[in-house]
Amino acid sequence: MPVLKDKELRIVGFLCNWCSYGGADTAGVARATQPTDLRIIRVPCSGRVDPLFIIKALFEGADGVLVSGCHPRDCHYSVGNYYARRRLEVVKQFLPVLGIDPRRFEYTWVSASEGQRWQQVVTDFTSQIHELGPAPRLEDAEPLLKLADMALSSLHALGTNRNAPLAELKEAIKAKLPELDCVIGWQQGYDQAHATPLFMTTPEDVDKLTWGPLNVMNPAVFLPQFKGKKVGIVVKGCDSRSVVELLQEKLINREDVVIFSMPCEGTLDMGRVNSVLGRYTRIDDIKYDDAAVTITADGKEHRFCMTEFAQGKCYSCVTPGAVIADTRLGQPVPVQPGSVTPPELAMLDAMTLEQRLGFWKGQMDRCLRCYACRNACPMCVCRDFCISDSRNPHWMNQGESPKDKLFFQTIHALHLAGRCTGCGECQRACPVGIPILALRQQIARAIGQLFDDYKSGMDQNAIPPLLTYAPEEKNIHEREWK
Amino acid sequence: MRIGVFICHCGSNIGGTVDCGKVVEIARDYPDVVYADDPMYTCAEPGQAAIEAAVKEHNLDGVVVASCTPRMHEPTFRRTVERAGLNPYMFEMANIREHVSWIGKDKEANTNKAAELVLMAVEKLRYNSPLLPKKFDVTKKVLVIGGGVAGIQAALDCAEGGVPVVMVEREATIGGKMAKLDKTFPTVDCSACILGPKMVDVAQHEKITLHAYSEVVDISGYVGNFTVKIRKKTPYVDWSKCTGCGACTEKCPSRNTPDAFNEFTGKTTAITIAFPQAIPKKAVINAPYCRKLQSGKCGICAKICPTGAVNYEMKDEIITETVGSIVAATGYDLMDWTVYEEYGGGKYPDVITALQFERLLSASGPTGGHILRPSDGKEPRSIVFIQCVGSRDKSVGRPYCSSFCCMYTAKQAVLAKDHLPDSQSYVFYMDIRAAGKLYDEFTRRAMEEYGSQYIRGRVSAIYPDGEGSYIVMGADTLMGEPIEIRADMVVLAVGIEASAGAPQLAEKLRISYDHYGFFMESHVKLKPVETNTAGVFLAGACQGPKDIPASVAQGSAAAAKVLDLFAKDKLESNPQIAHVDIVRCVDCGKCIRCCPFGAIEEVSIRGTNKAQVIETVCQGCGVCVATCPQGAIQLSHSTDNQILAEVNAICQS
Repeated sequence: MPVLKDKELRIVGFLCNWCSYGGADTAGVARATQPTDLRIIRVPCSGRVDPLFIIKALFEGADGVLVSGCHPRDCHYSVGNYYARRRLEVVKQFLPVLGIDPRRFEYTWVSASEGQRWQQVVTDFTSQIHELGPAPRLEDAEPLLKLADMALSSLHALGTNRNAPLAELKEAIKAKLPELDCVIGWQQGYDQAHATPLFMTTPEDVDKLTWGPLNVMNPAVFLPQFKGKKVGIVVKGCDSRSVVELLQEKLINREDVVIFSMPCEGTLDMGRVNSVLGRYTRIDDIKYDDAAVTITADGKEHRFCMTEFAQGKCYSCVTPGAVIADTRLGQPVPVQPGSVTPPELAMLDAMTLEQRLGFWKGQMDRCLRCYACRNACPMCVCRDFCISDSRNPHWMNQGESPKDKLFFQTIHALHLAGRCTGCGECQRACPVGIPILALRQQIARAIGQLFDDYKSGMDQNAIPPLLTYAPEEKNIHEREWK
Repeated sequence: MRIGVFICHCGSNIGGTVDCGKVVEIARDYPDVVYADDPMYTCAEPGQAAIEAAVKEHNLDGVVVASCTPRMHEPTFRRTVERAGLNPYMFEMANIREHVSWIGKDKEANTNKAAELVLMAVEKLRYNSPLLPKKFDVTKKVLVIGGGVAGIQAALDCAEGGVPVVMVEREATIGGKMAKLDKTFPTVDCSACILGPKMVDVAQHEKITLHAYSEVVDISGYVGNFTVKIRKKTPYVDWSKCTGCGACTEKCPSRNTPDAFNEFTGKTTAITIAFPQAIPKKAVINAPYCRKLQSGKCGICAKICPTGAVNYEMKDEIITETVGSIVAATGYDLMDWTVYEEYGGGKYPDVITALQFERLLSASGPTGGHILRPSDGKEPRSIVFIQCVGSRDKSVGRPYCSSFCCMYTAKQAVLAKDHLPDSQSYVFYMDIRAAGKLYDEFTRRAMEEYGSQYIRGRVSAIYPDGEGSYIVMGADTLMGEPIEIRADMVVLAVGIEASAGAPQLAEKLRISYDHYGFFMESHVKLKPVETNTAGVFLAGACQGPKDIPASVAQGSAAAAKVLDLFAKDKLESNPQIAHVDIVRCVDCGKCIRCCPFGAIEEVSIRGTNKAQVIETVCQGCGVCVATCPQGAIQLSHSTDNQILAEVNAICQS
């Protein structure tokens, strides 16, 4: 049953049973004439509306989505709409990064007595959608593959950290090792230019430990697997935030984890490093100076300056030192106040909505659906029960289209809303180098702006903003319908 | 699956603007639909019988009815399919009346939309599964909030029906607004004589516990088992000792205390008993006016009290009650009429409200039942009544009719003539609304027997004439000319609004209220006593303007609903609640943190911690479902798959 051509657009409404659905009924009883575009899905509470339903509808062809619940303080379930308000505002601020006009989604409150208000909401929203016209479809977007040059500035000096007291760190670990089942860190990988995780159980293992800008991997991802065992972990600042977040969600126990930290001056974006190195057969040498790593491969020298080749997340990093640690070594890295938009996000910010849609179309076309992003994410705790693999609930199909693949990224990003520490493992693990971290960064930015500069992974005892509410929201200004 | 679809014409309500036959044709091609029909009235007996017959004949295992809102007839049709042998939850409804046929006349668009709504219902139904309710115990005790005539009636009927009643009244005495009235229309019988015995019954009934001078501070729980916290405000008098002798009120030196019971027409003492028939007849100290409490110097009442009941150290007390049902009967207040600058905005002493006039009429009022002007204590010769002051007036945000002012104005005109045979009354009215048994006859008597002069029109200004009286300027719209009347007293029929604090109480009760603070009934016509929160019922003017007979009737109706609820020993829980798939659950605890009802707990299952829903506590809001990233917790009948099926039906079709 297609919508009436040229006459109607597809508008999906999610209405709570108690207030807004009743308000729509009241409007009907009053014979309050309304446009016919809207199709209403009745849900028990606006708090039932998973933000993913909204994205799903918009991806599947809706031109507009409207959520309506009871007025704040008047929720049939007391507080369901308070949770909804936070989630819905976050999703509204998330839409533009996908290339979707945020005006295509609105949420509001209509009580069962407010037939007139409902009439006005439907009429206004429908005309708003008609003004916007049919929603541009990802399928039809012109792929945009060219990446703009990233503007690179950072809040702390980027360097190789070659003077970090590695020997002291090794001694500290060796001293603790007898009490621990294992200590996680890094070692040289398949060649000198790559690092790989190291699981230390003997003092000989500890001698293999390395420190430097090649230690890109986040060791926190392994911690939940060791739950119940005594584990040590060596962390960079960003890794420590993942540890905090895992503690906050009780996925690990504080008394089981011993944290060793050294300040980090930045890590290399191995995607770009590897593409500069190109195909090679042998690493001849690797040298560090304060500002750069010089790698000689097949006799050819490449100098990777940290200010140029750091991971995107390092430029906006505010925690070069660990936020939680039992043993701290080395000198703290000074951080300037303020904030820097990470380069991936700045790149998307500079695009129009249409360009962003084309960007994701082009990028997601390259996605292999290997789920390396998911497997590398320390906060992806569903493991074997990821809903992307599930038929019940059946959120995802196994389609090959950019739309399906982008929807998975959206699921991941929204499931991490208020939880993602921005460690960037998803993006680093991506074998085809899609800048998917930007989606998570946009949500983190929105959450920071909405909820008192909240940053996940900073305080184990903080209550994540999406798991709580305030009857009066300071920074959420709902739209009025006049 | 084998699905039957029924597209209701609802007479011409739907059939007028939706081509039901065409929707049937379209629906026949929907997945799993094996039968489709378009009955004239699906909810009527033949319509329901047709559903039952079709289920049997076509071996259906699911039914979709497209008709009115599910908020109206979903329970009806669930019973129908249950009679036909199906689980009642193997049923879905498409709302093609309130959401389609009634909101537009474009038949093509309506038909198309109706067909899509049916598709959504079919697609959802394909993911339905049979649900079975659980039984739980019910606390057979009712809370009545408000001790006006509606609350009194509800309490007495419940108590007579054998149900223990807890009554909470904000004021120091029950009786509400009716206790302030002198006489009642249309019989002109004494208000105290008909209400007084009921108040005494409340006090004496062994099944009624009265908490006067108390307020509800918190309500948790759900139908069958609400936990209510009640603040017993301190009267500074130990009521278990107070005999209501009134000795304290005679000796209290603070004689300039505003008298709220008398609508501030007179003064009272700081320690006071509202009126002679007060129930409970106990003294209360009005703290801001008590010399002892304010300055520490006095204490006369404590000295005079023969039982030593006065206690200046007394504090508020919070008590907790568990009840199975709640009747809200919080009544009304007068709107703030001083917004009417043209009537003096409150600065003319002889321009008073009808309720103040009522206190002047009352033998227990400040003037002992004599109509005397507040300004000089003289009898008025000419009294002007103005109706609709704050009713049917959009300019002050009161578009509704306060319903009973026409009648009490007529009554007051009659009483004025009775009290002062030489007086003349004038009534400015917009329309006379006397639709009730013996009502029109009564207003006729006011005009014809008592000579009250009725003038159709509004008053534009009142101003003093310089000789102690007032000039009332208005328009006589029947004569089509301006009119001026000299008045010694002006009585305003001030419109009513929901009583102060009603919205806050509604939030505690989790019921809806309208723009004006009146509580929302579940259905305007068919469920005028129920609310959207199971177990919470409404009585009296808290639901909308209502006179005494209607308030009493609704009080009895609410009691009937309570008795109906308590007729069963166990209640059936709504099976549309959340369930945890323990295989998927990783015990991250997000659902536990978010649940508004504390209905999810952490349990150890074979050594691993998992979330578990307490079935009788879960109310089925689904906040947890939208919180769980794993999709491990699902709300029966609103599962992710069901909502996704609806989304896909709209978007992908």
